[in-house]
Amino acid sequence: MSEVKKHDTPMVDELKKGPWPSFVDDIYTYGEKHKKQACFDIMGQLELSYKHKETHWKHGGIVGVFGYGGGVIGRYSDQQDKFPAIWAFHTLRVHHTAGKWYHTSALRKLCEMWDHRGSGLVNFHGSTGDLVLIGTTTEQLEPTFFDLTHQLHWDLGGSGSNLRSPACCMGKSLCEWCLYDVQDLDYELTMHFQDELHRPAFPYKFKFKFSGCPLDCVAAIARADLSFIGIWRDEIQIDQEAVRAYVNGELKPNAGAFSDRDWGPFDIQKEVIERCPGKCMYWDEKEQKLYINNEDCVKCMHCIAVMPEALKPGKDRGVCLLIGAKAPILEGAQLSTVLVPFWRPEPPYDDIKEFIYKIWDFWMENGKNRERIGELIQRIGLNRFLTEVVGIKPIPQHVRVPRDNPYIFWKEEEVPGGWQRDIKEFRKRHPA
Amino acid sequence: MADVVERLKELWGKYDELEGKFKDEMDPIYQEPYYPDAAEKLYNPDKPMQNRVTDIGPPYYWQFLPPVVKKNYGQWKSHEIIQPGVIKRVAESGDVIYVVRCGTPRLETTDYIREICEIADKYCDGYVRWTTRNNVEFIVDSEEKLKALLEDLKNRKHPGGSYKFPIGGTGAGVSNIVHTQGWIHCHTPAIDASGVVKSIMDELFEYFGSHKLPAKTRLALACCLNMCGAVHCSDIAIVGIHRKPPMVEDERLQHVCEIPLVIAACPLGAIKPATVEIDGQKKKTVRVNASRCMFCGNCYTMCPAMPIADGEGDGIAIVVGGKVSNRISAPKFSRVVIPYIPNEPPRWPTTVKWIKKILETYAEHANKYERVGDWIERIGWEKFFELTEIPFTEKSIDDYRLAYTTYRTTTHFKFTKHVDEVKIEV
Amino acid sequence: MDKEELKQKILEVIEARVKKGKSKVYLKDIQRDIPDAKARDIKKAANELVQEGKLEYFSTGSTVMFGLPGVGMGLEAGSEDPNK
Ligand code: HEM
Ligand code: HEM
Ligand code: HEM
Ligand code: HEM
Ligand code: SF4
Ligand code: SF4
Ligand code: SF4
Ligand code: SF4
Repeated sequence: MSEVKKHDTPMVDELKKGPWPSFVDDIYTYGEKHKKQACFDIMGQLELSYKHKETHWKHGGIVGVFGYGGGVIGRYSDQQDKFPAIWAFHTLRVHHTAGKWYHTSALRKLCEMWDHRGSGLVNFHGSTGDLVLIGTTTEQLEPTFFDLTHQLHWDLGGSGSNLRSPACCMGKSLCEWCLYDVQDLDYELTMHFQDELHRPAFPYKFKFKFSGCPLDCVAAIARADLSFIGIWRDEIQIDQEAVRAYVNGELKPNAGAFSDRDWGPFDIQKEVIERCPGKCMYWDEKEQKLYINNEDCVKCMHCIAVMPEALKPGKDRGVCLLIGAKAPILEGAQLSTVLVPFWRPEPPYDDIKEFIYKIWDFWMENGKNRERIGELIQRIGLNRFLTEVVGIKPIPQHVRVPRDNPYIFWKEEEVPGGWQRDIKEFRKRHPA
Repeated sequence: MADVVERLKELWGKYDELEGKFKDEMDPIYQEPYYPDAAEKLYNPDKPMQNRVTDIGPPYYWQFLPPVVKKNYGQWKSHEIIQPGVIKRVAESGDVIYVVRCGTPRLETTDYIREICEIADKYCDGYVRWTTRNNVEFIVDSEEKLKALLEDLKNRKHPGGSYKFPIGGTGAGVSNIVHTQGWIHCHTPAIDASGVVKSIMDELFEYFGSHKLPAKTRLALACCLNMCGAVHCSDIAIVGIHRKPPMVEDERLQHVCEIPLVIAACPLGAIKPATVEIDGQKKKTVRVNASRCMFCGNCYTMCPAMPIADGEGDGIAIVVGGKVSNRISAPKFSRVVIPYIPNEPPRWPTTVKWIKKILETYAEHANKYERVGDWIERIGWEKFFELTEIPFTEKSIDDYRLAYTTYRTTTHFKFTKHVDEVKIEV
Repeated sequence: MDKEELKQKILEVIEARVKKGKSKVYLKDIQRDIPDAKARDIKKAANELVQEGKLEYFSTGSTVMFGLPGVGMGLEAGSEDPNK
């Protein structure tokens, strides 16, 4: 390979300083070692962006490899003369594994492939969850895909109006609070819906995210059209011995998460009982015993997180299914809304899959272009969605408060005698 | 070369037999060398469906779990953060592991990933995982390995002196910043992403590796209104905003864009077709109703003759007080407190200054366990503006949809200095 | 309507729109123009047409549209021919 052409990047070089890992140092070191012009060109273009305070990328209409409606994002530099090595610089989204676990044998091979096929730049991971391979030319897209599928047994993730790559928390692989098998459900649904993931199916994008408990480490409630959040319904398990150990200062509260500041000795009354949003806990100083009125517990996880050795979620565990989160564009942002308060997921999850099809069929028939499911539900009303679309009995758990206006759209069949009335009969009672 | 294709077919056979569900052993494909020219043998542009494998999904996660995790899957008993960035996990079986969490820049090279592989091979039998917030986690099974690993990580630095693998991101500190592409790779950003994140994390570095805040603090950055990162529900977040509608390049537009597509791309219907005369020639083009434009950049996606970026107009908005977790209080949205800060590459000093000011004011005043949003709700927004010394402007009053729900319809408020700023002129 | 018939219909719908100057069409618009077929069947048929090379996808950045191969705005939208 011939010598690389370097650009002067004084501003970008400023980002080599400071303690946080410098992507600039990383990219330059890599570029030098592998003699990759693309690395120097992308730093050169970034310098130009720092100077102009404007991006220098253009969009291309490319969506994927042959037969796929997603997984690739087309990019072109508007500085073709200055930075020819990044003139076409597309990304591929590669589907991450459930819980983002890898073995180095697979990662090393992926790296080798990407050195050969692309710029060597990656994101671990994109914000939807995929591994992002940044920067290659149009000609390399198909060979990269063939390498991925044949030599790594690995597929692209979703983009466009598809199912996007589902994502879950670390779940049972590392977390003691995980209330259902998030990785298994993530994997099963991912595999079952491969067609929806790779080919446009919907009016707009659709996302699943799976968190094992209400702490919601993957931000399912804020980001997913269908959010699966683990929950329990029976009593919090209490080890009174361990509670006393916290109270007596023998165990570190909150597993040591507050270790670098002196917050004073642990005060169960102030730190747990008074903070409990269910107002359902009682510490009996005399008995040295903790009581929880579980009927009033809202499963917020606070007491459990403060005293993990002493408290555990209950044994009757399942998932709370919420629907409709989306980013602010266009109708304003929405959080997910409770749909099914409690569901016990059982492999192979056929009931969940069928339920999802039911929602999709309705959305595909009734959604407008670029209307997310959450916006569609707003448009028709949650009440109608529950009763007429998914056939779920409305319960108080579906709302924060009941409506404040009685402007109810009654249906004719709900009113005795219907809407057809006889004005003559009326006038007999009420002469005009 | 035919034998490479045969060999890959053979390996595919194994995969196919198990439908990819490798459990006890790992897919042998990962032990096979990479063949740089195999794809060219397999792919035939004239017959694109030939040899094409589709819809196989990601590798089955189970094969990538370390044996100790497989053994104790779903059987973890408790955990303790023994120092910032190091989580000790104990299983019902009595097994103990130590999870070491390190920040990464998210934008990285394959050599950086290889360095992670080298570490994972040395201490973790090759197993490694990433968190949702772009941290990498190494899992070791003894205190000796833990000690050696921590020592090793601390000494790995880039030529410019930055740590490659800063340890932290746990407990009551600042975790890694979830962020998007910015000027490195996107066509609609109003700001850079990686450079802003680097500048902020350099300044907040001590909070990444310590537990001295009142609660976890989640930072996020999205470089345009499309908000590819989870910003709207973060304790403190940065959003890139454009403030000028797209320009329309009349001479060029009809040659590079399809007008109906551009019109359809605008979410607000702000684009109308038009005809202009240039040098006596009629040209088809479009007009933008500027008062309707929300500066999203979708038009530029469809039409390179409608650039939206503007060095002077673009910049940063800061939003605070959101959260995702259900702990103590319900999830909530972030709110705009600083509507605009200009872009200041390469170090964005004004943005960094305000973020630090907000974080440290919070750290000083909030109670234990209070997230930024919970703290603000307790003291009131008027107090928040007073304490942080952020000037309150009319831009923080909503006028988008459902704006009314954010207005104050009660006499409950506090008498901060703002009250005396109200002067009635008659 | 059997699948082949449906595919034919889809191509007609898209061709009709191309005549009106719109070379890329949303799945929803196809569905609106063929009200007597199920949305899921239309999706399947349109995606099969892509496999057969009779349609191609076009990305808007966040959603995907369908078009006739080689008609209208090309996939290399960012790389317009400077001489054009
Ligand atoms: C009109 C709306 C949107 C448009 C036009 C749009 C466009 C784009 C584009 C062009 C990219 C590619 C960036 C690159 O790699 O060059 C991208 C990436 C991405 N977008 Fe969007 N987007 C939109 C809305 C959203 C929304 C609402 C979300 C999520 C809530 C989202 C999530 C993502 C994610 C996760 C990525 C991956 C990039 C990363 O992780 O940095 N997008 N989007
Ligand atoms: C200040 C403003 C906000 C910013 C900067 C922002 C930013 C973002 C970003 C970057 C994402 C992408 C997450 C991902 O897929 O990785 C996102 C997703 C999301 N945001 Fe926000 N957001 C804001 C306000 C809100 C508000 C007020 C709500 C709700 C009322 C909201 C609800 C959501 C939801 C539900 C998602 C998941 C959406 C999806 O996948 O499309 N956001 N937001
Ligand atoms: C179908 C629904 C409603 C009916 C039939 C209704 C009926 C009435 C009637 C008959 C009056 C007395 C008018 C008068 O003094 O002659 C009244 C006054 C009033 N209504 Fe309603 N009302 C309805 C809904 C509501 C709602 C939803 C609200 C508020 C949330 C409301 C707030 C008031 C108030 C504040 C007054 C007093 C107005 C005044 O004295 O100036 N009403 N309403
Ligand atoms: C379902 C909702 C409501 C209905 C049906 C309703 C109905 C009424 C009616 C019939 C009156 C008596 C009017 C009269 O003097 O003849 C009234 C008065 C009034 N209502 Fe309500 N109301 C509702 C909600 C509210 C709410 C939510 C508020 C305040 C937050 C409110 C505030 C008042 C006030 C201030 C009066 C006037 C009392 C007075 O001047 O003596 N109402 N309302
Ligand atoms: S969401 Fe709950 S179960 Fe999942 S990793 Fe977080 S704390 Fe654990
Ligand atoms: S989980 Fe939350 S609501 Fe339930 S008892 Fe504990 S602190 Fe109270
Ligand atoms: S947030 Fe906007 S500018 Fe940033 S990567 Fe996403 S679409 Fe591009
Ligand atoms: S920037 Fe967005 S709102 Fe403004 S004209 Fe373009 S597409 Fe429409």
